[in-house]
Amino acid sequence: MNSMAIIQQLSRGFATNCLVFALTLLMAIPLGLVITFGSMSKFKPLKWVTKTFVWVIRGTPLMLQLFIVLYAPGLFGRPMQSRMTAVIIAFVINYAAYFSEIYRGGIESIPQGQYEAGQVLGMTKAQVFFKVVLFQVIKRIVPPMGNEVITLVKDTSLARIIGVAEVILCADRFSSKGIIWPLFFTGIYFLAATGILTLVMARIEKKLNYYRG
Amino acid sequence: MKKVLAILLAGAMSASLMACSSTGDSDLKAVQDSGKMKIGVTNYPPMNYLDENGEWTGFDTDFAAAVCEKLGVEPEFIEINWEAKETELSSKNIDCLWNGMCITEDRKAMWNVSDPYMNNTQAMVMKADKEAEIMADIAGKKVVAEAGSTGEEKLTGVIDDSQDSTVEVVAKDYFADAQYTGVASMATALMDVENGVADVALVDYVIALGMLGPDSTMKDLVINTDNYFGDQFFGIAFRKDSDLRDKVNDIAAEMKADGTLKQIAEKYGLADSIKE
Repeated sequence: MNSMAIIQQLSRGFATNCLVFALTLLMAIPLGLVITFGSMSKFKPLKWVTKTFVWVIRGTPLMLQLFIVLYAPGLFGRPMQSRMTAVIIAFVINYAAYFSEIYRGGIESIPQGQYEAGQVLGMTKAQVFFKVVLFQVIKRIVPPMGNEVITLVKDTSLARIIGVAEVILCADRFSSKGIIWPLFFTGIYFLAATGILTLVMARIEKKLNYYRG
Repeated sequence: MKKVLAILLAGAMSASLMACSSTGDSDLKAVQDSGKMKIGVTNYPPMNYLDENGEWTGFDTDFAAAVCEKLGVEPEFIEINWEAKETELSSKNIDCLWNGMCITEDRKAMWNVSDPYMNNTQAMVMKADKEAEIMADIAGKKVVAEAGSTGEEKLTGVIDDSQDSTVEVVAKDYFADAQYTGVASMATALMDVENGVADVALVDYVIALGMLGPDSTMKDLVINTDNYFGDQFFGIAFRKDSDLRDKVNDIAAEMKADGTLKQIAEKYGLADSIKE
């Protein structure tokens, strides 16, 4: 088998990683915000439930969560129909929990005085949050979010453990025929993806530099 | 960018070349000098599995231990990832693969493979209450097999068995309209069927026998061998040009002749599977 054909197959595998990455970001970013509101809620039971949820999700390996999402429905007589769906569910929940803590840190770093000032000017709490606080929060959370996003790129390779053909699983199919280099070659895909993301994050940080938050 | 790519590629390739060219010394001498043989295994009942004390047991475990005793060395069982077996063997992390491995042409070309010691074939495992439905029409059913296993390779056509005279049903054609996924191990494949994530597992018959035996918790699974996917034999893999193979072949032939191999097989309910 020639190297071009191998690289083609690997690229098809990496398309799966990219799909997991994109769907996870798309859904985990808003879901994370919902969790943040839960864990910052003044309503104690909601706060307690959300904090426990975040503890459980952050306190167990993503690999285990993948197995649970794939197999738990079957134990209740409704087997998971698609492995890809199981991957997306596990990733979205896991990353939303991490994102929510980053958001919370960002929101709590904004001085209380801004809310008070807003109230004095006759704004509601929601108005202060969306018109004054949110953009400062976004600016502050860009670096830690960049960290998580880069981790996510590499975590997508975990999908293989429940049989989703991501790039490293594709490469393993060649190593089982005695061709090892595709396995090493997969590193280039991850490096390229994280390289691009690093540049994008730097660009976003620069764009947000026009004001001091 | 192109230059960086070229350097990275060159690095990766030379690393893989180095891994391939490190044969030549006598494996037999190395094993005897070190006093132990490193045997690559996976959890694979009834061939190799851990007993309640966490010790390796099983047919292949006992077989390997008996051969090592005659070689005058200690067996050291090293649990490997089956998908990484080639790397484990070529990097000398292990001296042999002794784990219910099916002999194939590819493997014979890549390694020094021992004489066959056990008969095997591929069996379909499914839920008893879905057997009639699945056997009537396999189209659209979810099929799982261990990634890199003989079952997968027959099913995907990597092993072209259409000319094999022992094959009654060509797996590639039979499963052509089924939905296939490769999973981590045969145990995972069976678990997927038990759980309902998949409909059918294509696994080694010997392993299915072992895993779905009297002690099994998966009582609602059945083994179906209506479709005969052809003869297979288990063998032991050594590095290419390893002189260990011929020595082990001689010892195994002796054990077959004096009946000790059969004795071990009886212990695990596999007496009928020993290769004559």
